[in-house]
Amino acid sequence: MNERTDSIVLHFIAQYLMAPFILLFGFYVLVFGESGPGGGFQAGAIVGSALVLMRLTEGMEQSRRFLSSRGLLLIACAGVGIYAGVGLLALFAGQPFLDYSYVPNGWVNAFAEREHTSRALGVLGIEIGVFLAVAATLTLIFDYLMERLSDA
Amino acid sequence: MMRLLGLLVLVLLAGVFVHASGDLPDRGDPNAPANVHVSPHYLENAGDEVGMPNVVSAVLADYRGYDTLGETVVILTAGIAVAFVLIRRPRRQ
Repeated sequence: MNERTDSIVLHFIAQYLMAPFILLFGFYVLVFGESGPGGGFQAGAIVGSALVLMRLTEGMEQSRRFLSSRGLLLIACAGVGIYAGVGLLALFAGQPFLDYSYVPNGWVNAFAEREHTSRALGVLGIEIGVFLAVAATLTLIFDYLMERLSDA
Repeated sequence: MMRLLGLLVLVLLAGVFVHASGDLPDRGDPNAPANVHVSPHYLENAGDEVGMPNVVSAVLADYRGYDTLGETVVILTAGIAVAFVLIRRPRRQ
């Protein structure tokens, strides 16, 4: 599994049919989490599964050149940082921690059909943080398991 | 002997749980303590206060934002713990 798969059919179906669809569906679940079922955790799990599928078919070496384990760890930390940062910025606006009513919403409502409150935008911000942390952590765990597997 | 004692404790505990489960409120009971405290407030006011149609997301990310921050940190910590357990160390002579 460390090299790219030999089967061109498997490679084509996984890389060009399944992975893009799973990624698109993951981002859909993330963005529409405020109006339907979904959210950061679910989207992170879906996108993480797409990244694992790409690593399985493209080979660990090639896909690590694209997104290394260290990069994944940085993304996961950045996700938690985005969450905490959105919460901490409220303190500078004179609001309690994790109160999103400071988020400016006029620039979204200028071109959105539906009225977006600033709290809904703040929720979207922290969902993006959760999404990054979950997706990167799932792929990171897979990476380290594969590393240990290729040792033995 | 210790096994028998452990089994006895388990059976006693199971009896206590089965007995106590009779006092639990029915599933979906509107008068259950869990459904009369803050849940009605969330259901009635989440649309106006948070401005999101999805009440689950509103509770998860806004009303209970602190909790979700903790959950995200737990996920990151789990990933780092797995990394520390499985990372390839250089062999020492």
